[in-house]
Amino acid sequence: MIDTLSYTLISIGLVFWFWGTWPLLGDRSVLFKLHSLSVSDTLGSMSIVVGLLLKIPREWPLLVLALISLAIWNTVLGYVLAYCSTRGGEDA
Amino acid sequence: MNWVITIMILALLIPIYEAWQDNSIWQKMLAFASIATKTSIMILVVSVLRDDWMIGVVGVLILSVGNAALMLLAHVLRRINDL
Repeated sequence: MIDTLSYTLISIGLVFWFWGTWPLLGDRSVLFKLHSLSVSDTLGSMSIVVGLLLKIPREWPLLVLALISLAIWNTVLGYVLAYCSTRGGEDA
Repeated sequence: MNWVITIMILALLIPIYEAWQDNSIWQKMLAFASIATKTSIMILVVSVLRDDWMIGVVGVLILSVGNAALMLLAHVLRRINDL
């Protein structure tokens, strides 16, 4: 039961990864790509880590640390990249 | 679990291709940020697969310090563009 749940979460995470990374190949603006990437990459990665957490609950301190740093860093990095690329960049 | 790693490598190829073919520096930064997150999650998966706690520590370090380094790099690039 738990095994199925964790595989389901990992598969959902992989789908999110492809969904968010695919727009990178297109010819859209940086901000469009940044939005899709930061939203679905973070959600997909968090779902994969939760799936791993269900698989091996013994390593929870490490995996919770990974979850926290994903949640905080990817949102902050999204803001910083957007801020830096729109001011002074040549392709705002 | 090996299929997970295979699919992850396929997903990793997309940002690598983007970083290789695009000349705009911000598009490259975006691809690099994606590569950093994806590789660190892959390291975590491998650490659970091999039941090795120490590999997992490396993955979490990359997740936190690598993103911080990318943030600093973005600021440096912006300053250089302002000059």
